[in-house]
Amino acid sequence: MADAALWIMVIVLAVVVLLLMQLLKRVLAAATSIPAKIDAIAGVAAAASKDLDAVAVLLTTQGYIGSIKNSVLDYGGSLNAALPDY
Amino acid sequence: MEIQVAIIILLIAVIVAELAIYLIATILQLFKINAGLSVVLPLVGQIVTKTNPVNPVVDDINANLVVTRDALENLMLKKAGPDSAGLVESLFPGEGAKFLKRVNRSGKVVNVGTVYTRGVGILAGLGRGAPIGVAHAKGAAVRDPKYSTSEVAKLYPAPPDRRDPTKNIPKAPVIGKDPVHSPYEPVLTEGTRPRDAQGRKVETPPPAPPAPPAAPQAPSGAAPGAAPPAPAPPEDQLGRLSGKGLRPWER
Repeated sequence: MADAALWIMVIVLAVVVLLLMQLLKRVLAAATSIPAKIDAIAGVAAAASKDLDAVAVLLTTQGYIGSIKNSVLDYGGSLNAALPDY
Repeated sequence: MEIQVAIIILLIAVIVAELAIYLIATILQLFKINAGLSVVLPLVGQIVTKTNPVNPVVDDINANLVVTRDALENLMLKKAGPDSAGLVESLFPGEGAKFLKRVNRSGKVVNVGTVYTRGVGILAGLGRGAPIGVAHAKGAAVRDPKYSTSEVAKLYPAPPDRRDPTKNIPKAPVIGKDPVHSPYEPVLTEGTRPRDAQGRKVETPPPAPPAPPAAPQAPSGAAPGAAPPAPAPPEDQLGRLSGKGLRPWER
């Protein structure tokens, strides 16, 4: 009886060894794949951060748009006075 | 010790070794991940910082553009009336219906560009009396692709005064070397220059003395006050005269 129990334990442990090896392999594979992706993200983030340097020009564009709006409104007022209504 | 116990001990040792190997490798990868994230996070922070003012700036730009668009659309409605949507449609295909929707109007959008030749609509709108101005927008197209420019010219063929042949109005002056119908009268008196080149007033000069009588041998086309012409060179010295006299190889 004791022998049988020991053999069963041996079999269970063998199965546990195989399962544990598979699980740990997968965990290691997943962990190994992450640094490469992080490096890629770092490159993209650096490029995006550099591209966003042009956002400061948007402030200039904002000023231009305001000036253009005023000019167009002035021009529209002149047209309103110069052209007859329908 | 029985064989089963030995196998169990061996299996447990394998399990422990397996756990140690894989977990240590995983921990090393986690260290790499940590280092990589420490590089990425500041870059992401930069992105967030740089994009922070974009929303208010873009909102302000959009607000300005909307105000400008509304003003121009109202101006167009005021000046072009029901043709406004057609004008918008001719410039930006597909925008005429949206324009009508924005200004709370309804109706069919007639593309002005496909009905009128370019410029005719403007002339009709300015002239009011042009024949195209009385055509209905829903009628047949008046555009003549073959003689489109002639059609435009027919809108204003001639001033009304010139259509009356009894008035004998001369044609427009021809600007050229010898115009037949010169609009300018010949100068009969000398002109006076009240100011000099610097803008200072010039006192009225005394009247010029009468010109001496012209030499009898002077040609008829010469000016009355011109000096007598130089004696003609001998026959052997005749040649092409330059502005300074004979050329060096002709002296």
